[in-house]
Amino acid sequence: MSKNDDAQRDEHRPDVGLYVKVFGALMILTIITVAISKLHLPRPQAIALGLFVALIKAGLVGALFMHLWGESKLIHRALWITVGGAAILILPLIDCVLVANKITSPPDVASQHPSGEHAEEH
Amino acid sequence: MSQTYNPAAIMGNADTHSGVTNAKLGVWLFLASEIMLFATLFTSYIVLRMGSTSWPWGWDVLNVPLATLNTVILISSSVTIVMAYAKAYDKDKSGFQRWMAATILLSLGFLVVKAFEYGHEFALGIGPHTSVFYAIYFTMTGLHGLHILGGVAVNGGLLYMSAREEHWRNPLFLGRVEGAGLYWHFVDIVWIFLFPALYLL
Repeated sequence: MSKNDDAQRDEHRPDVGLYVKVFGALMILTIITVAISKLHLPRPQAIALGLFVALIKAGLVGALFMHLWGESKLIHRALWITVGGAAILILPLIDCVLVANKITSPPDVASQHPSGEHAEEH
Repeated sequence: MSQTYNPAAIMGNADTHSGVTNAKLGVWLFLASEIMLFATLFTSYIVLRMGSTSWPWGWDVLNVPLATLNTVILISSSVTIVMAYAKAYDKDKSGFQRWMAATILLSLGFLVVKAFEYGHEFALGIGPHTSVFYAIYFTMTGLHGLHILGGVAVNGGLLYMSAREEHWRNPLFLGRVEGAGLYWHFVDIVWIFLFPALYLL
């Protein structure tokens, strides 16, 4: 193995110091996740904040523990295709539920129903 | 011809002409299928939750302190397995065995805590039949628990193999440890999303 190979191999050496720092960050973020739930925020804000912290945690594990940071383009492409496939399956379904909720929510039902507000006008 | 860095040479696997070993590519494709599996479950969770007229707060009906303990255990195990990989990289046999044993113990700890949680719920007569919330809770955490069990089996196998010198001479061994680590981190990521989704929000 040439000196060049040795140097490049060292670049890919597991960084124990970095792992310890990531562990600390994950623990702090876990405390933050629990603290957010104790704030008893309205649900949309609580979900948005909780999801945001979970994404940061998952990003840290993926990028640094799974070495996705600096991983081959082939692996990145495979993952993007997976994410795209999942989005194609999931997003239309969620959109359908959102639309269905809008149609069947109480005010809309009242306005569409013959015995609702419009019926009283007649 | 100039020599270039080749991870496949270090890991001892056949080169895929992309700088990625066959084993690593295989593990990532397996993880891609796992992402799709859990994505469908999370979609079911979102659709059922959005379609429900009421949905309980996780901390009203589930044991948040135990789940928080399990989160700490799983994050710790992610660190121990990456330390095991670092030791395997340095061909430090006893270091690898120590960290891998710690990973397995933490994994078993996770399962024991989960068993306590399930046991308490079953004792109260709560099961998947109780409500849509509990149905999705038991399905998702149960499937995640099975993945933990699978990880224990793989990591236990690697620990067993590490006792024999011939495996340390085999350049494929490091690739196997890396693959097991990737799988374990994925299981950790799934829990990172399950914990707030079911217990906190």
